Amino acid sequence: MRTYRNLILRAGFAGLALLPVLLGGCAKAPRDYMAITNRPNQVSLIDLEDRKIVRTCPLPGRFGAGTLQMSPDKRTAYVLTNHFENIYGVDLDTCKITFSAIQSQGNTRIKTIAAFAVSADGAELYVHQNPSLLLRDRYEVQEPRMAVYRIADGLEAKPVRSFPAPRQVNLMQTDAKGTLYLAGRDIYTMDVNTGAYSVKLESQSRVEPRYSQRDVLSVWPLGQQSGEFIRMYTAQRFADETKQPETAELVWGYERIDLATGEASTRDFGPLNVVLFSGMTRPHHPNEMFGALSQLQKFDVEKQQLVKSVDLEHSYYCVNFSSDGSKVYLAGTYNDIAIYDAETLEKLGNIQLPGGDMSLATAQVFPRVL
Amino acid sequence: MKHLKPLNAKADLMEAASNPEARAEVVAMQSVVGCASTTDPGWEVDAFGGVAGLCQPMESDLYGCADPCWWPAQVPDLMNTHPDWDQNAPSAGQDWRKLDAVFPKARD
Repeated sequence: MRTYRNLILRAGFAGLALLPVLLGGCAKAPRDYMAITNRPNQVSLIDLEDRKIVRTCPLPGRFGAGTLQMSPDKRTAYVLTNHFENIYGVDLDTCKITFSAIQSQGNTRIKTIAAFAVSADGAELYVHQNPSLLLRDRYEVQEPRMAVYRIADGLEAKPVRSFPAPRQVNLMQTDAKGTLYLAGRDIYTMDVNTGAYSVKLESQSRVEPRYSQRDVLSVWPLGQQSGEFIRMYTAQRFADETKQPETAELVWGYERIDLATGEASTRDFGPLNVVLFSGMTRPHHPNEMFGALSQLQKFDVEKQQLVKSVDLEHSYYCVNFSSDGSKVYLAGTYNDIAIYDAETLEKLGNIQLPGGDMSLATAQVFPRVL
Repeated sequence: MKHLKPLNAKADLMEAASNPEARAEVVAMQSVVGCASTTDPGWEVDAFGGVAGLCQPMESDLYGCADPCWWPAQVPDLMNTHPDWDQNAPSAGQDWRKLDAVFPKARD
């Protein structure tokens, strides 16, 4: 009996000894995280499942714009900060600054208006630069350019290539094939090795007999959760080519690049009843378009109808989604992130950030195993 | 202008501007050398001529307008000329009393 009990005990200990091996063998499922910046000047990693801040990393310099792009492995956040001038790469696991691009040098002041992107392989950073020469008696606006940084150059990296670029570029993104997209007056593609660029999707240069010129406001590089690079436009749609003002309908539409295929598309998706600042399609539901500012609105793209609209507790600039498309996250302006049910638009909760306002910050959501 | 001679480069440009053929091309700016390129009406009225489309409350929108120098008549230019205006006031909703009016600096 004693021998039998010893055997059971030994087997039990052997089982316990194997437990870490067994657990280690089971891969942890990825869960959704958000990276976002806020005042005074910091970036936070948030566990969206637990609705808790994992860590908050301080950034050098002053806040602004807070635009954020993730590395392909989702470990490093690249943040535009110090009044739209410097870009820092922050390891979100250690808070270590691993990369910096200090753009202004001497009497040349360089600002980037939210337009930067990471290459598909994570090796390069593409930055749209707006230089101004600060002279004693005047400022001279210089030609805008695209600067290419090698991320492996680490701190105080200098551009390894530089090309003339279109003016008024406010958003950039790369697709799975490495193509770089620039969103300004139109949406352009640029060859990152030669600097050659061309119009991929006409926006302000588009001539449509029944439409007014489009108007676009966007400084939030969103859409990766739905595999898209997307921005919204507003326009007047007239009854006929005579464009009689009394026949005008105000419409929302989107300009979209499919980040898997590079395919460009644009279309109206609904009536313009309230101002919205950012929007994207719901993951796994390409016919559902969401936008937010003081309201959260959901549109049926095919029918061009507003499905539902709810008033928000305060304005939020930046929309994003959980990977399964079930939850909407609203960020920007103050320091709380609001969570809504994407099906019903019922409010589910808030996450408070330490510190102050997010202002124009980009909320990037991504699945990751920590 | 016949009896005036330009003394510096800016005056040269002004003189050249009086001759249409010598006028330099006007380039579109991107809020990078001050704030005069933004002509939005401001917080007084929304795109529909009312107020319902404005951000709610206005404090939630305050740094979103000051950071990119969006509405310079209402909010100091944090991007260029008043980078310290928000110092010690990380939350516009909580700290708005600390956000003072700004004035041109007195010359020495």
